[in-house]
Amino acid sequence: MREVVVVGAGLAGVRAGESLRAQGFAGRLTVVSDERELPYDRPPLTKQLLSGTMTEADVRLAGAEDLGARWVRGTAAVGLDRERRRVRLADGAELPYDGVVLAPGAKARAWSGAVPRAGVLTVRGLDDVRRLRAEVDGGAREVVIVGAGFVGVELASSLSGLGVRVTLVEPFGRPLRALGGTVSGVVAEAAGRAGVVLRLGTGVRGFRDDGGRVVAVELVDGSVLPTPLVVVAIGMVPATDWLAESGLALPSGRIHCDERLFARSGGGSGAPDPRVVVAGDAACCDAVRAADGPVALEHWSNAAAQGELAARNLLAGPAAAEPYDHVPSFWTTAFGLRIKSVGLPGTGDRTVAEAGDPAGGAVLEAHYRDGRLVGAVSVEQGRLLSAYARRLRGERMIASGTEPSGT
Amino acid sequence: MKITVDHGLCDGLGQCALVAPEVFALDDEERLVVAPEAARGSAGKVAAAARACPVRAISVEGS
Ligand SMILES: Cc1cc2nc3c(=O)[nH]c(=O)nc-3n(C[C@H](O)[C@H](O)[C@H](O)COP(=O)(O)OP(=O)(O)OC[C@H]3O[C@@H](n4cnc5c(N)ncnc54)[C@H](O)[C@@H]3O)c2cc1C
Ligand code: SF4
Repeated sequence: MREVVVVGAGLAGVRAGESLRAQGFAGRLTVVSDERELPYDRPPLTKQLLSGTMTEADVRLAGAEDLGARWVRGTAAVGLDRERRRVRLADGAELPYDGVVLAPGAKARAWSGAVPRAGVLTVRGLDDVRRLRAEVDGGAREVVIVGAGFVGVELASSLSGLGVRVTLVEPFGRPLRALGGTVSGVVAEAAGRAGVVLRLGTGVRGFRDDGGRVVAVELVDGSVLPTPLVVVAIGMVPATDWLAESGLALPSGRIHCDERLFARSGGGSGAPDPRVVVAGDAACCDAVRAADGPVALEHWSNAAAQGELAARNLLAGPAAAEPYDHVPSFWTTAFGLRIKSVGLPGTGDRTVAEAGDPAGGAVLEAHYRDGRLVGAVSVEQGRLLSAYARRLRGERMIASGTEPSGT
Repeated sequence: MKITVDHGLCDGLGQCALVAPEVFALDDEERLVVAPEAARGSAGKVAAAARACPVRAISVEGS
């Protein structure tokens, strides 16, 4: 393999590049990014960077500059021609490849209806946080955040810490609901204590503006929240539009890959392409599955681990490639709480609080499906999680019929 | 092998403990404790734990 192209210079893409070099790949490596920025890490954006305890220099992804790569910055990949083995770029250039790593990640999901020209933001990248910070520094003392997933909750925490009055609107009734009921309750309570106004169980009908600038949010229940600033935090969409003609399988917009991270072809054949590997938020991998099929992960540790393995497997080829066997793990911090999970907590049918004291803001909740452990979530009980991770690894080995190796 | 943890950087996220629990663990305050003597013979796992740290608080020298 002499030419490798990596599309996307987020965590997954940069780790893939590092891993290629660590395996001794000495050929030409080209990294394509539609952002002009040097690679950076996303978790601190909504936490330390917005809060002001980290600078932009602190959030850069270390190691990117040492890849010995040719960088294409500020230019998107717009097509993948697998027959001719070329990545097509927005400026018309074509990059030939022997192998390609697809790591385009995701974009913030936009509001589906009409939105005022000014004052309504989404947050995914560094530029978004700069814009948000500029609004706050420019005098916005109030914000309505739509969506209480982890990004919405982190924003609520950081902005309230900056003295901004925050209203958090969540139509599905609970913050961080993917993590289970008890955890949700602990987070809601901490948010309330921090002065965040929670509007749970009611959705947004639309926005009012004055001369193009937002002035209020209208809720489905008829109430109107006056505000000079809105952040829409309703999840993400994989950045895979550009692959529509590639012939790859794209269920729900995710790039479907086999257990070894080779992209599967669409059109029913599902055959993995030995020259195309996938990693990160854009991937949906057969090795990460719940009872009813593969689950897409949108977590840091998954992007890091997949980037690393995808590159190794690309060089090794399908016959020698290793399956992806990472136990999912996620962390977030908000309102002074350290929240962490292992496994796939969202996929259980029963949750059991197994340690901690929810009233005191600490809980370890285990998630089971058909009596088998599928995940665990901790608030301030992080020391217990590695035992659950070990159990999850054991469950999986039993399910796949391999013997636990004793580690 | 010499394992150094920059406790100024370490957030107690515990990602390292998920990868190499015999070497890295969190205590009751979710502070990281390291058992370097347990690392002997598992250089690969320790390196993987260092890569799993989101803030790169772990550095490893030698093997
Ligand atoms: C604000 C925020 C906070 C987070 N906090 C946490 C956390 O606390 N804990 C946790 O576990 N996870 C967290 N995450 C999730 C974690 O950051 C992601 O899982 C991770 O960034 C995914 O990495 P990736 O490389 O797959 O995608 P990305 O980071 O999205 O990188 C993909 C890159 O590819 C570029 N790209 C896209 N399409 C193209 C194209 N066609 N051509 C060229 N380039 C393209 C994108 O612009 C981007 O730069 C957070 C995410 C966000 C947004
Ligand atoms: S992963 Fe890093 S930040 Fe987390 S406990 Fe380990 S050393 Fe500390």
